[in-house]
Amino acid sequence: MPERGPLIGVVGAGIAGLRAANALLKRKDDARVVIFGDENHRTYNRPGLTKKRYPNSGSPKSELAENLKIKEVENDSVTWRLDTRVEEADLSGKVLRLSTRGTFEYDGLVIASGVRPRTSAEVGRECAFHTHRTLRGLDDAQYIHDELRASKKVTIAGAGFVACELASLAGEYGCEVSVLETRRSGPFESMLGRNISQALRRWLVQHGVTFLTGDSARQSMCSGSSEALNPESSSDRSLYVEAIGSVPNVEWLCGNGLDLSDGVRVDEYMRVPEREGVFAAGDVARYPDPWATGSLTRMEFWKNAVETGELAGRSLASALGYESEVSQIKYFPSMSTEVFGLRIQIAGDPKACDSMEIVRGDLDRLDQGVLVKFLREDVVGGVAYMDEGARYNRLYIELVKALKAR
Amino acid sequence: MKIFVEMAKCENHGQCAISAPNNFELDSDGNLRYQESFGEEDLHDIEDAIDSCPLQAISLDRDPTYA
Ligand SMILES: Cc1cc2nc3c(=O)[nH]c(=O)nc-3n(C[C@H](O)[C@H](O)[C@H](O)COP(=O)(O)OP(=O)(O)OC[C@H]3O[C@@H](n4cnc5c(N)ncnc54)[C@H](O)[C@@H]3O)c2cc1C
Ligand code: SF4
Repeated sequence: MPERGPLIGVVGAGIAGLRAANALLKRKDDARVVIFGDENHRTYNRPGLTKKRYPNSGSPKSELAENLKIKEVENDSVTWRLDTRVEEADLSGKVLRLSTRGTFEYDGLVIASGVRPRTSAEVGRECAFHTHRTLRGLDDAQYIHDELRASKKVTIAGAGFVACELASLAGEYGCEVSVLETRRSGPFESMLGRNISQALRRWLVQHGVTFLTGDSARQSMCSGSSEALNPESSSDRSLYVEAIGSVPNVEWLCGNGLDLSDGVRVDEYMRVPEREGVFAAGDVARYPDPWATGSLTRMEFWKNAVETGELAGRSLASALGYESEVSQIKYFPSMSTEVFGLRIQIAGDPKACDSMEIVRGDLDRLDQGVLVKFLREDVVGGVAYMDEGARYNRLYIELVKALKAR
Repeated sequence: MKIFVEMAKCENHGQCAISAPNNFELDSDGNLRYQESFGEEDLHDIEDAIDSCPLQAISLDRDPTYA
């Protein structure tokens, strides 16, 4: 019998990693858990990065960080190795190679390395016209909030959730905002379909956003290849943020024979099938979809990271031989965002549906509330609700409950 | 135990009302209304609401005067 508990490595200091660590420690308090994070911050509330303005310029940086703190990080049984990137994993030798040149030998491993923004230009690059950035981490957000506070002109490539929240935030800061969408005709089109997408596009335009699509968007795209004429002075350069989707952080796992085709493939208990004692959770994990038998899903939502993280921790405890209830993942997708005062709530999987039906309201009057259901072979598979107030909120909740109870 | 929502953080996203409709609701203007006290049978839903709030504005058992 070893005198000390098992040594567990958690790669990624996001919410999935933290929840996995805490779930394990709750069941097995002598486990020694080390969380590796390449950001220089303990876990914070990532969705909060774009949810509101921080108008005070006094010490705005700490204001953002302060506001996004989450209580669960104060767990002294966890060792934090921040600013430390795991460069490589040897899953058969059970050892991680670190950016600090050290190595780390583990008894159990949780993969919670999340995703990063997809990019075409080098991040931080200053071309002749723009400063190029992406938005994923606290440091990115601090930089972007500072720039927006100075009411700069901002160009956003992409029209997904992060792009639209950022456009709204920039508009509220008083910036001149352009959104470029080359592949679709409006926001969230691949998820909510063309009609809703067009209504959302009109909403953005009504609120002062220049929304370009197709060739005109393509012409305004910037790959950052033009040389900066005067690299010292950034005052005449505007902000260009790419929010065109994300890429799972899996490169450090290459060479171990895992299925890394879209994140890390796990089973319904968050176990990596190829390796005992290895689990994955959060944005990086691709698992059997509890709502569509036979298909796999990978979700990039906070609550998904919370639930899969907790399950990974419980499964790990159980694999280590400790009493721990494990039940198959049954995360139900439900999210909300706010774009220029319009609250958009989506539940279920509208993307997998083939038709939609307006339950209440009119797509030309989004501000008055529109409630929509999505059908797949005549069965409701998703619902969406857009409103400035909450006129149909009760009905929306009923539809969501019915959907969840399927 | 009591429910406490930091209203300075809350942006009325309403995710809490979906998770725990007995305890949270949005009024017709879209502003959050909630009941501080709750029955034991709602605890699970409330924990779900705490995790679901994108602003992480909800907690249990915190006295607002010390927040
Ligand atoms: C601006 C923005 C707004 C969002 N808004 C919402 C919202 O309103 N609602 C919602 O549900 N979701 C939202 N999301 C998504 C949500 O934040 C994510 O789903 C969630 O944070 C995922 O958590 P995670 O722990 O899986 O990954 P992450 O939070 O990405 O954590 C992974 C961590 O691991 C680090 N890492 C990666 N590779 C390594 C390595 N090799 N070594 C060490 N560390 C490594 C990363 O830097 C990162 O810090 C938003 C995301 C963004 C960016
Ligand atoms: S989910 Fe959070 S932000 Fe939304 S209404 Fe509830 S407490 Fe407020």
